[in-house]
Amino acid sequence: MSASRLLGSTQPPPRHASIPEALRRAAEHPSGLTFVDAAESEETLLWSEVHARARATAGALRHLGVHPGDRVAIVLPTSPDFMDAFFGTLLAGAVPVPLYPPVRLGRLEEYHRTTARMVQLSGAVCVLTDGLVGKLLGEAVAEARPRLGCHRVSTLREAGEAPVELPVPPEALAAVQFSSGSTVDPKPVALSHANVMAQVETIRALMPVREGVRPLGVSWLPLYHDMGLIGCLVNAVAYPGPLVLLRPEQFLARPALWLRALSRHRGTLSAAPNFAYALCVRRIREEELRGVDLSSWALALNGAESISAEVARRFVERFAPYGFDARALVPAYGLAEASLAVTFAPSRPALRTVTVDATALAADGRVRPGDRTLVSVGRPVPGAEVEIRDETGRVVPLGTVGRIHVRGPSVMVGYLGQPEATRTALVDGWLDTGDLGFVTDGELVVCGRAKDVIILRGANHVPQEFEEALEGLEGVRAGCAVALGAIPAGAEGEQLVLLVELGAGTRADLADRVRTRVLERTGIRPHGVELLLPGTLPRTSSGKLRRREALRRWQSGTLTPPRKVRWLGLAGAMVKSAMAFARLDHET
Amino acid sequence: MPNEADVLETIRTIARAELELERPVQPGDDLLADLGLDSLGLTILAVGLENRFRVKLSQEDAVGLRTVGDLAKLVVRRSEAAA
Repeated sequence: MSASRLLGSTQPPPRHASIPEALRRAAEHPSGLTFVDAAESEETLLWSEVHARARATAGALRHLGVHPGDRVAIVLPTSPDFMDAFFGTLLAGAVPVPLYPPVRLGRLEEYHRTTARMVQLSGAVCVLTDGLVGKLLGEAVAEARPRLGCHRVSTLREAGEAPVELPVPPEALAAVQFSSGSTVDPKPVALSHANVMAQVETIRALMPVREGVRPLGVSWLPLYHDMGLIGCLVNAVAYPGPLVLLRPEQFLARPALWLRALSRHRGTLSAAPNFAYALCVRRIREEELRGVDLSSWALALNGAESISAEVARRFVERFAPYGFDARALVPAYGLAEASLAVTFAPSRPALRTVTVDATALAADGRVRPGDRTLVSVGRPVPGAEVEIRDETGRVVPLGTVGRIHVRGPSVMVGYLGQPEATRTALVDGWLDTGDLGFVTDGELVVCGRAKDVIILRGANHVPQEFEEALEGLEGVRAGCAVALGAIPAGAEGEQLVLLVELGAGTRADLADRVRTRVLERTGIRPHGVELLLPGTLPRTSSGKLRRREALRRWQSGTLTPPRKVRWLGLAGAMVKSAMAFARLDHET
Repeated sequence: MPNEADVLETIRTIARAELELERPVQPGDDLLADLGLDSLGLTILAVGLENRFRVKLSQEDAVGLRTVGDLAKLVVRRSEAAA
């Protein structure tokens, strides 16, 4: 039987050696960045202006004491200030570390802790921000104590220092991005200029070319995430052209702004995670689409989380009358550790899907026909290789589930300052993605995860974030809860599920109290809360909870209490029926 | 200048049209425990109020903010400060 191995086409040589080199060339191009606000008024910054402002900012950073190779944390919304900070840091030879700005009305203590932790882990020498965000960063900065402090980027840019533009070797770091934003075990992914430039080439090679049409990107994606930063921003610099930017929160509040911007500017390229397509179907009203024409949209990438064939179908059905071409919708698979994309599906009239038996898949990793629909994410991007391996590292036969491994020029240098984590993830140039998948008909299908990560709305979370939220909640057995990511029947994407063992003081409203507690502490609403008798969750011999095994048993319906507590069966059944009242499935 | 009743009415409109909440929204409702708003729901609500009343709400504002009534008071305070 053939082995589960896929090889992308030969990669074209990178056009530029580094982002600064690309920016210098872009400055000669008559296009630039357009920022759209909530009222749809726009402000354009030409690439020549981006370049000049970055040179001025770089001069000030150098004067401040930032040296080549130093990391600089950037906490800014999508704005001209972000561009000054990002490109200014790069022109000073330093390494930008974009971090997420505070969420409106979110929990501030958690934000301070997370931000301080990421500043520390990245070893950032200073933090760049603006006046508004800066007011909120005091505590985080006080805790992380970056050597050169916290600065407003506008103050630096206007300081009048001599402009600077340092040469950068391709092997130097171009960015550090965090694979998940949480205090628990965040990993700083270090990418070189060579990594990022290789990724840009692969995206370019896959972009559909339409005669006489100039490529134009539109994005609302956050710039502290690879899909927004590399896929949109760096791509638009390396192959200079116009890029229209919206703020993520404006898109979330009013999804129509995204499609209206695509229509107004005749956008050709825009990417988003699955949930964004679902949000458009559900929350855009017909009257918001008056005059909207989506026929210019040639590539609508769908990546960063599990892809639902049903959501894609509904999106096409809803927006085809507005000129949306079903062939534009292209599934992709990738991860921060690979700079961005690993595979792309070819353009097709409808997504290619495989139907599998979910129970069999969860039970023994065999792919058999069934009623769960999975979407093919296509073939490796140019220059990339994909292998599916078993736990011992051997490549598995076709049609068998295993861990997805990837090798190629975009695979990260490593986790910054974490040699052990790097050695675990990267062996002989092969990155263990921690995702589970199989190869069928020459394409990759992603079907689960071997690592303990939960991906919600395109953002990665570690389970501890949710499990720790339950600490001290009466009725929950201490330390006996697991958080899992699963795609329940009928859901539009991955959801948070909590399996919780009952402890002393259990009351009938426990499931509700678990929900509210998790929501309060994390801002995420659990889709399902399953209450279990003590001892039901599988553990290792040393007593550690086995999350993946718990998920496998839960999905295959074999999660049962141990024999010795079966005598509790009757009492348990009563508790369960009481709980059933509390178990409401909130549709998000 | 909006008063609390204006803001409450806008919160109800957003809750119905944007957040698709079917239950009636009262000033005493807890944003999390009663309305079940997650980070996305809070963002939609906050950005909706910002755009309607031309104010800026930040994360700082979350301190001590629990109910719909608290949020309405906050928006009124902010728009008075902005005037």
